[in-house]
Amino acid sequence: MTAASAPVRARPRPVTRGPGRSAARLLLLELRHSPMPWLLPLVAALFWATTYRKVMALPPQWYPRAGTMQIGALLAFASPVIGAAAWTAARDRRRHTGHLVAVTARPRWTRLLAPWAATTCWALAGYLACVAVVYGQTAGQATGGGPLWWPVIVGAASLPAFAALGFAAGTLLPGRLTAPLAAIAIFFVLALSTELIVGSRSYWSVSPIVAYPWDNGPNAGVATFYPYLPDLSIAHVLFLAGLTAAVLGALGLSPDAGGRWLRRAAAASTAAGLLAAGTATVLAGTGRMDAHGMIAIPALHDAASDRPLRYTPVCRQAPVPVCLNPAYAEYLPAVAGALRPVLSEIAGLPGAPARISQAAATYQQGTGNEVGIFLAGRVLAGQPPVYRLLLPDQFDGPQLTTAELAAQVRSSTGPGILASVVGDPAGSAAQQAVLAALITAARCPAPGGDCPVPFADPRQTTRGTGPRRGGARRAGSPEPGPTLDIPAVRPGTPAYAAARRFATLPAPARHAWLVRHLAALRAGQITLRQLP
Amino acid sequence: MTAGTRAPTAAPGRRDRRPGTARMALLLLRRHAASRRVPAALAAIAACAVALRIALIAHWDAYGALQLPLVFETGAAAAIVVTTASPLGDPERVAGRWLPFLRLATALALTAAAVGALAAAGTGGHLAGGTLDVLRNTAGLTGLGLLCAAAAGGGLGWTGPACYLLAGVYGLYTQWHGPALTTPWIWPARPPHDLGGALCAGLVAAAGLAVFTMRGARDPAGE
Repeated sequence: MTAASAPVRARPRPVTRGPGRSAARLLLLELRHSPMPWLLPLVAALFWATTYRKVMALPPQWYPRAGTMQIGALLAFASPVIGAAAWTAARDRRRHTGHLVAVTARPRWTRLLAPWAATTCWALAGYLACVAVVYGQTAGQATGGGPLWWPVIVGAASLPAFAALGFAAGTLLPGRLTAPLAAIAIFFVLALSTELIVGSRSYWSVSPIVAYPWDNGPNAGVATFYPYLPDLSIAHVLFLAGLTAAVLGALGLSPDAGGRWLRRAAAASTAAGLLAAGTATVLAGTGRMDAHGMIAIPALHDAASDRPLRYTPVCRQAPVPVCLNPAYAEYLPAVAGALRPVLSEIAGLPGAPARISQAAATYQQGTGNEVGIFLAGRVLAGQPPVYRLLLPDQFDGPQLTTAELAAQVRSSTGPGILASVVGDPAGSAAQQAVLAALITAARCPAPGGDCPVPFADPRQTTRGTGPRRGGARRAGSPEPGPTLDIPAVRPGTPAYAAARRFATLPAPARHAWLVRHLAALRAGQITLRQLP
Repeated sequence: MTAGTRAPTAAPGRRDRRPGTARMALLLLRRHAASRRVPAALAAIAACAVALRIALIAHWDAYGALQLPLVFETGAAAAIVVTTASPLGDPERVAGRWLPFLRLATALALTAAAVGALAAAGTGGHLAGGTLDVLRNTAGLTGLGLLCAAAAGGGLGWTGPACYLLAGVYGLYTQWHGPALTTPWIWPARPPHDLGGALCAGLVAAAGLAVFTMRGARDPAGE
């Protein structure tokens, strides 16, 4: 073999890795060393205790559950994520390895981003697991609407921002006290900054903990008749993305962070982040609660969101059919059962509603932290007339069981339906007597039943739903809903005697008399003496 | 030096410069405190008290007024727990005969300082729950932190109080939005004179102090 014929051996190539592969390996290393997975069981326990149980106790509707989950998850994750990030960032100082890693080939900024990304990845994994449990359960229970993803996105966008804040704190002040103080400080800022919100127009609404108009709460009546408005969520995501970019960019501004181009990129990231966060804050400040109970931001608002949602109501055949939004389908048997005695009294009467149908509420921001919740439009609408009702759940009151809700419907909507048939509750004495008699008969359908209410106390009034009367209420007060004051007839008066007489009539006789005389009664042409 | 030789004696006319027992004890305390960053913790406690004082000047609704002291009590407790981490590790554990007493003294002194500082911060302002609340919450939170430090390490002991803060705030929240959490283990949600809450907080504080005194914080290698 000559030199010319000898096979040419290729020179061994230097072993190189692509930058993506190196970054992935670095991330993998950081994922293994992050303290976040050790904190996740603690966070999961907190989430279960403070959020999951609360969310599951809410009605199985997407809006209240998604909003409550957003707030609870943020509070459960914020402190551990910030603390873990700050703890990780101070690692080199704690272990006295700062000089050791400073001489590695990687720029400092790149080295810093890897542990931040690892903390974020673990936090996101935990958060998404929590979301999956809550949304999975809700999907199995909800009878209307679909999952709301914007609150989930806001929560997911918060975690990188929290990790970035913690990481910056740990990098700039790498002491032992930094992690706990940063964790508690973020809780203070998140939980107590909401004290500064007055009304629906506030720059503090940019805080991701504000999932809905702060004074309206997780109202079950919102986002069922009208689409969910993502305006505030968009502002939140913009703010959080900007905050993350600005904080991470600021970490790369120091001269030892990397080369010139890297520092320029960091400066650009900081500037863009600050711009985005500032814009989002200004946008959130221009938001206001709209008539459908959600925050609308004019610059982000899509007019198509103001159109009502199309849905096929779920109905139950009663003496008069009762129809509800499918999101409230679980209440239908109880509501129909609660209204059955009232509807039996009025079925077939001239001018009586042909159907009872649930309607949308309209929301109005009052002075300070007051929110008014009213029935949108008229109580009786259409031909044949449809009685439009608001369920107690549509008001911002305390959480009700199905039995409590049915009892409230019986005591508030029932008299309202009767008043809509008999006429003005403050009308003639005969109208008042007939109305009182019908209320009594509906409460005690058994013949000859002795029902003193509403006769016993002359100062007492019976409450019923009515058109835009006395609906304004302060959020959190115990008595929900608009009320219609139906004057009680005074014992000892002729009206009282006539009402008692009319109530004790057999139901068919009462019904037959009403069929013949209801029009005259409504016109005020019937006197007490003419009542049977 | 063997048994047969005599120990050297101080030259006549010279004073013995060995420190006395009291001075030794003080020196030991000072060095232990310095190694545990006690001055930094005291500064953090003072900062919590000052921040509470400033916050109390503002107007808070019932929610905020109840939650506010708990946040600063947690901050102070976390600062105390951070001092449990030892930079010396095993050598100190082996040689330090007085170490359990030093741990106990440090934890007790810092807790007392935190209670005193926070109570003083509330003087003249509307401190919800008053001094009793501060004492119960701070002691309980510190005990929880000490237990966490014994389990997870001095550096991560703060996770206990920080996570319990959310549970406490949630307990207060359920007083408005029921069903209310009435378990005495969520003692911040109980009234200041509640015996059950005080007992639970005291039990956790005692357990934390006992475990920390005997075993100290678990210090992972390399931390």
